[in-house]
Amino acid sequence: MVPGVVPVALLVARTDTHAVLVDGLLAYPTGFDFDLEVRYRPGRPRHHRPHPREWHELRLEVRFADGRSADNDPRRWPRLSGGQLPDPPLLYQSVSGPDGGHVWLWGLPPPGPLVFACQWPALQIPPSQAELDAGLVLQAAARAASLWPEKTPP
Amino acid sequence: MSASHPPEPPEVEYRRPPWVEPPADVVPGIVPVELILARTPQRAIGLTGIRAYPTGFGCTLHMRLREVIPGEQSTFGAFNMLGGDVDPAGEFADYYLRFGVGFADGRKATNLDHRRDLDEVPAPDPPTLWLVRWEGYDRLAWEVDVWVWGLPPPGPLAFVCEWPARGIPETRAEIDAGLVLAAAARAVPIWPDHAAP
Repeated sequence: MVPGVVPVALLVARTDTHAVLVDGLLAYPTGFDFDLEVRYRPGRPRHHRPHPREWHELRLEVRFADGRSADNDPRRWPRLSGGQLPDPPLLYQSVSGPDGGHVWLWGLPPPGPLVFACQWPALQIPPSQAELDAGLVLQAAARAASLWPEKTPP
Repeated sequence: MSASHPPEPPEVEYRRPPWVEPPADVVPGIVPVELILARTPQRAIGLTGIRAYPTGFGCTLHMRLREVIPGEQSTFGAFNMLGGDVDPAGEFADYYLRFGVGFADGRKATNLDHRRDLDEVPAPDPPTLWLVRWEGYDRLAWEVDVWVWGLPPPGPLAFVCEWPARGIPETRAEIDAGLVLAAAARAVPIWPDHAAP
């Protein structure tokens, strides 16, 4: 499929030296993906760069209006067997690094506020959050285009 | 160290040249563009999500296979990942996906442009095209984020792709560049008190 575009970029956290953005929100019928971007304020003295063992400490949680949530703590991943699927939402961060990462969130949110919350102690980024109207994600998911519509699902 | 030496100036955050990546201190304006640039019975190329900044714009290329083709799973056989060094008249040129943007005033930028040294002086003239992220999800999907340095003038903004070895002829899709310019005007400084160095 070619995804639908959520026409918003979110500033989730900002300190005097760093910012965290949710950008590149693209929606499919089964979920949405986005870039989790850590920005370093230009022109300031060079800051502490997180050590590789700290990359995974950039905590991200996505909260739905119905109370369900998912985060990027792999210790909370469900233990599944065989072809069993986890209950959505499930957050999978495919890349982690000093500049953030790329995230796939399996499961579409219900209508209402969709909250992105983050914190990163290594960079003194306190718990911060921003939200958008989940309807924007649902509308984008509805616009996702099948490339081979006649394809028979497996 | 002698006491007469002046103190070292503090090391500041390194910034790659503006033609390599978007500005770090701006939240982009978004243009909800969703295009299918090319589609054959086995392959497709889509383009979505223009992220506009005062200095240029980014977008995402979606490369899709309909089913697994041995030898072509992860990188789709060939893509000029680093944005240069492909001789368009060379022996292997047909095996590379060619992608570019065209402005209404005739200027263009493509992934066939020669690779540049990051510290090249003077900087190249805009527009330039640079690949900033690429990631494969499975054997059927591959995505590339592109950064185009330089905003287009008003008029049509063209996206062009061609992949001769994969049966994709030159294909062109156009949008109104005004959408990108309006989104760039909506981009928001993250630190509005920040004085440009």
